[in-house]
Amino acid sequence: MGDETAAGKLLPVNEGLVTGTDNEPRDVQLLGSKCDRCGEVSLGANAVCLNCGSDRITGIRLAPEGELWTYTVIRHRPPGGYLGPDPFEPFAIGLVELPDGIRVMAPLAGDVDSFEIGCRLRLEPWILQSRDGPAYRAFRFAAVAG
Amino acid sequence: MPDSDIVILGTGIHPFGRFDKTPEDLGVHAARQALGEAGLEWSDIQAAYLTRMYLPATSGARILRRLGSSDISIVDIEAACASGGAGLRQAVLAIRSGEVDTALVLGVEKMPRGFMDPSMIYADWQVRMGLSMNPAYWSMRARRHMHEFGTTEEQIARVAWKNHRNSVENPNAMYRKAFTMEQILASKPVCDPIRLLEICAPNDGAAAVVVTTARRARQLGGEPVAIEACAHTVARYSADFRCPADSMSATISNPGPTRVTSQKAYEQAGCGPDDIDCFEVQDTDAFCEIEICEQLGLCERGEGGPMAEEGHTEIGGRCPVNMSGGLISKGEPVGASHLGQVVEIVSQLRGRSGARQVEGARVGLAHVLGAGGNCAVTILAA
Ligand SMILES: [Zn+2]
Repeated sequence: MGDETAAGKLLPVNEGLVTGTDNEPRDVQLLGSKCDRCGEVSLGANAVCLNCGSDRITGIRLAPEGELWTYTVIRHRPPGGYLGPDPFEPFAIGLVELPDGIRVMAPLAGDVDSFEIGCRLRLEPWILQSRDGPAYRAFRFAAVAG
Repeated sequence: MPDSDIVILGTGIHPFGRFDKTPEDLGVHAARQALGEAGLEWSDIQAAYLTRMYLPATSGARILRRLGSSDISIVDIEAACASGGAGLRQAVLAIRSGEVDTALVLGVEKMPRGFMDPSMIYADWQVRMGLSMNPAYWSMRARRHMHEFGTTEEQIARVAWKNHRNSVENPNAMYRKAFTMEQILASKPVCDPIRLLEICAPNDGAAAVVVTTARRARQLGGEPVAIEACAHTVARYSADFRCPADSMSATISNPGPTRVTSQKAYEQAGCGPDDIDCFEVQDTDAFCEIEICEQLGLCERGEGGPMAEEGHTEIGGRCPVNMSGGLISKGEPVGASHLGQVVEIVSQLRGRSGARQVEGARVGLAHVLGAGGNCAVTILAA
């Protein structure tokens, strides 16, 4: 049973995590929170700084491009409600270091053998269709051409 | 041993593996053994702690009522992979407070088969996007360590080789099968660079300890082992990117939970890593053991790979690690794993570990680390 109100809509994969609209699904940016007190940047719209506990937070959009800090390859279908390709295809995930001072965990698009630490990556939208329910506006990173 | 010392007087263990048994069966087996070794009855226990992660609420009361009626405090304690350490710490604190002088700590787990249900620790969006594989997080640490320090896949495999080999002599381990380096390196990658024969499997098991004062132990006789330290911490912000982290700071790098917890334990015990004869540490994957050895101070940062490769962590080496075979070969019944390590260290310090005995072991350390940066370190001395 899907969520009826969500039929045909593209929901953010998590509230407060990605920008974008139904009309412009390709306009995906990562949302972040910058602490007014200690300056730390965290992923998503957070009410409290995870470093110092301050609630004086400014919402920001994280930079779309960064460098791969570490990565691995997922060789087996993840457990639970993974919405990636079916039948399963191995894929890479990694921590991508953004100029905002944060490393974000994300799936990596492309050949699993093509990545190395330090390579340049750019955010791209990743639409995930659940079997009976809504589609989600998610994200991943892909190699910067050239 | 001064009267004020707090000691382990009895230990019990149900082998780790897969069994058609209930948590009650597993727990009662370990608890009875620990009481028997201490020369005590269930009615002598004044407080009890059940450490578990995947069992339902009030499992402690459900399991321990099988030992007989009582009206003592029985509490379930959960701190992910460090649950056993968190529970043992509570027993030590209760005894030190003077309210009780004898307590039972029992770890029991009966794990779901295969990969654990990701919704226990991950957010829905992480599951949808395929970010909910625990081994992926271990593997990313390994990949980064290889990049920074030149750690090799052979060095990682060497840890698995050692632990599988040690387990052959441990009747409480699940696999008890030695593998060659070639077999380990040829086993399928789970999450690159970590392979199937280099990771632990969740399973079932139980372990128990009876904790009391040195004064009471002297009255009872037996073979007490002193608890020199028992520390538990949860990692600070950006000290770790263990699962289920969705990001980490690139500007702040706090000391990791193993370093912080072991420093606390070394301070409590008034000793350092050089004073310790044997170690049981978290080896959810073979790389993990390399990193833990560095963070416990057994070697410099980046030297964990060569230390494993040169055999220093083998039985007979400079600092033997995971004489029991570690979680790689025993399996990881999460709530019972730390107490299982403690049972091994106690056996080593009593000189009763047979073919896996570390000669003359007087002081031993047990370490666990898991989800959310939960870490526990216990130091024991004969
Ligand atoms: Zn802050």
